Amino acid sequence: MGEKNDIIIGIDLGTTNSLVAFADEAGPHLIAGENGPDDVIVPSVLGFDEAGVLKTIGVEAREHAVEQPTTTIHSVKRLMGRGFADVAQEAAALPYRVERRDESGERDIASIIVGERSFTPPELSALILRDLKQRAETHFGRSITKTVITVPAQFDDAQRQATRDAGQIAGLEVVRIVNEPTAAALAYGLDRKEDATIAVYDLGGGTFDISILRLEDGVFEVLATNGDTHLGGDDFDNALISLFASEIRDQFGIEITSPTIKQQLRTLSENIKKRLSDDDEAQIQIAIGNDKVYEKTITRDDFEKMIDPFVARTLDACSRAMKTAGLTQSEINQVVLVGGSTRVPYVRRRVGEVFDTKPYTALNPEHVVAMGAGVQAAILSGIERDVLLLDVTPLSLGIETLGGAMGKLIPANVKIPCQASETFTTFKDGQTNIKINVLQGERELADDCRSLGVFELGGIPPMPAGLPKIDVTFLIDQNGILSVSAKEQRSGKAASIQIIPSHGLTRDEVKRMEQEAITHAREDMAAHHLIDVRTTLEFDLNKVEGMLDRYETQFTVNETTDFSKRISELRSFARSCDDATTINERREAFNQSTLPLAERAMTAALSGSIASTDGDDDRAPEKH
Amino acid sequence: MSERAISLPVKCLSCHEELSTPIVCDGCHTLYPVPQSADFFDLLSIGRTFHLDEGLLARAYRSIARQIHPDRFGGDSIEAGNLSTRLSAQVNQAFATLRDPVKRAAYILEIAGGPSAAEVREVPGALLGEVMMLREEIEQAQAKGDDAAIARHRGAIAKRRDETLEEIAGRADGLWEASDEDKKGFRVLLNSIKYFDNLLTELAVNPLAANQDH
Ligand SMILES: [Zn+2]
Repeated sequence: MGEKNDIIIGIDLGTTNSLVAFADEAGPHLIAGENGPDDVIVPSVLGFDEAGVLKTIGVEAREHAVEQPTTTIHSVKRLMGRGFADVAQEAAALPYRVERRDESGERDIASIIVGERSFTPPELSALILRDLKQRAETHFGRSITKTVITVPAQFDDAQRQATRDAGQIAGLEVVRIVNEPTAAALAYGLDRKEDATIAVYDLGGGTFDISILRLEDGVFEVLATNGDTHLGGDDFDNALISLFASEIRDQFGIEITSPTIKQQLRTLSENIKKRLSDDDEAQIQIAIGNDKVYEKTITRDDFEKMIDPFVARTLDACSRAMKTAGLTQSEINQVVLVGGSTRVPYVRRRVGEVFDTKPYTALNPEHVVAMGAGVQAAILSGIERDVLLLDVTPLSLGIETLGGAMGKLIPANVKIPCQASETFTTFKDGQTNIKINVLQGERELADDCRSLGVFELGGIPPMPAGLPKIDVTFLIDQNGILSVSAKEQRSGKAASIQIIPSHGLTRDEVKRMEQEAITHAREDMAAHHLIDVRTTLEFDLNKVEGMLDRYETQFTVNETTDFSKRISELRSFARSCDDATTINERREAFNQSTLPLAERAMTAALSGSIASTDGDDDRAPEKH
Repeated sequence: MSERAISLPVKCLSCHEELSTPIVCDGCHTLYPVPQSADFFDLLSIGRTFHLDEGLLARAYRSIARQIHPDRFGGDSIEAGNLSTRLSAQVNQAFATLRDPVKRAAYILEIAGGPSAAEVREVPGALLGEVMMLREEIEQAQAKGDDAAIARHRGAIAKRRDETLEEIAGRADGLWEASDEDKKGFRVLLNSIKYFDNLLTELAVNPLAANQDH
């Protein structure tokens, strides 16, 4: 039950596109930008200049992707909460630079280098979130501080934390993280009054999720979820790109290294994918320099063969999810398609086959997640009271045991919130701390799972080995985010826990980045202010120049020369000085010094002692 | 059935309405931590029996989940939010345990004071030999790619599991008054279910047998 007057928005922070929505008694609504009611999609693209200063966001930034491939940043979501080691392979295919940021030496955070600046993925996502926040603020005419953000159901703890951090850096409290397929079901199921079992097939740019939900008495209960965080429409594009690249290599002996041509190929491939949704074939032509042109015709059949391995992987995940839910295809009442990549006819056809039902697409697959986020926001603010979401954890949680095995504490597909406890002890006399490596994943060996971080239990009283008993509770909350607490059995005293995230930011770092983001925003504002002051100065100088010219006879030659000189000095000063306040002070002082001249000009004009030159300066005194 | 009384704060401390579950007030939505004495049946306000109505259980769960879920306490104090998260975790665990017949039987054994799986590891004597022979036959069938034989084995194991579960169901509600020897025997039956499940998993992960599900 939100505080009164607290608006909560819902954001779909996507790999390719982002949207913001809210819901009222009438249902969910997308918030449009300044270009009319259809302007609801903000491409998740950031355009920087060479120095690493943000210039454009969204559509405009995307338009520059080909000319400025190294400073146009997209697909940040693929890097959220991940280490450089995790993403090195796909980073090689990105036109911009990705490096390892290593602040404490123990962590591995992938960061993006733009010009002279290095950004963590949450800082970049925060720039998109800030843009959406401003959109909502313009819509509501007031400040917005709370949001729901959606994430792929398969996101692990680190990726969820990174998303929450991005919100905080953007000045938004992330009151809830909702899984994208679940959000889509909310948007769809709101109108349904009868009970049903729904499968949500969500194929976005970079991630794939399948969730199976049971809708009963207004409760949306997730029965099973499965998927792949590294599978999406981008893979379709990449298959086309690598085909073109290898044919160019074979035909012309040219290796494609230029980021511009790479980006051009990407844009072309995206277009082909879209064209083949309607047409049976598509042609491309691309100039690769030295008057050489690569031409290619792709049929829909070629394309379907190319993407089949990826689609097959999604269908395997669908079968696994049905098995986990204990359901057969005939027990699924409805299949809902979500994500831009489900526009591909082959995907629709194959999904229809697997579930033996025609997929339902009443809502725009690119809008539905944001709308669901809006519905969840309404649930949290108490506007929507009849609906409740019961989600599951997508991955097993465990700890590294002696010998490097994964000791499972909470299995995948368990309802959240959920918790598990484990008792730890010391194995050396006098040992005062214990380190626990917390893992997420389905593999048997700790090394094959993702480490969420090392939790260090401290302040254990020195005792013989095996005597201290520390109960550690692992709690996964409704957002799918883990928290850990520990208590010494004998004393009942809470043990201290220090967390070293493997791929995440510490609380202090997020705070610092939030401050920096505000400072940057201020710097941007200062930059705007500087431009304003310079413009005003130029306006005033022009006015005085006009006066000197027009009332020439009223001034001595010395005066005219002196002022002309001061005007040109002030102009060059304004160009070299970055301080708006100083420029403004000089401008005011100069204006003061011109007052006696202006008075003389005025008197002259009033006495009619000079000929009026009508027209070109409407600020000149009128002739009576 | 157990006669243990649970120490409910019978009336809500905030609005003095009578409480129908120990953890939340229907009237004013005040949350209470789970009382030490309350078990999973109490948490879901459902009769303490193995033979429960699964539809009723699911409805009881949804009704309580609705009242205590953290999404209902979004704008409230951090303490209320934290308590609702912990309570939801406990209620979710209670539901997951009681909806599954094997877990439900094991839980009844636990609250009836029976031995844990760590305390009694044995299975019925005949089972070990039976399983060893089955394993051999399965390996042979897998080596030969004899899908029909594998499917036959799966059927046979599933049948043995069902029979064991029936026996468990017949004895579960008698555990409250059962002797220590009977409680131990009950644990042994539960252990054999685990054996059958392991065998079925082994059959399922075999690529030759994987598409034979359903
Ligand atoms: Zn009350």
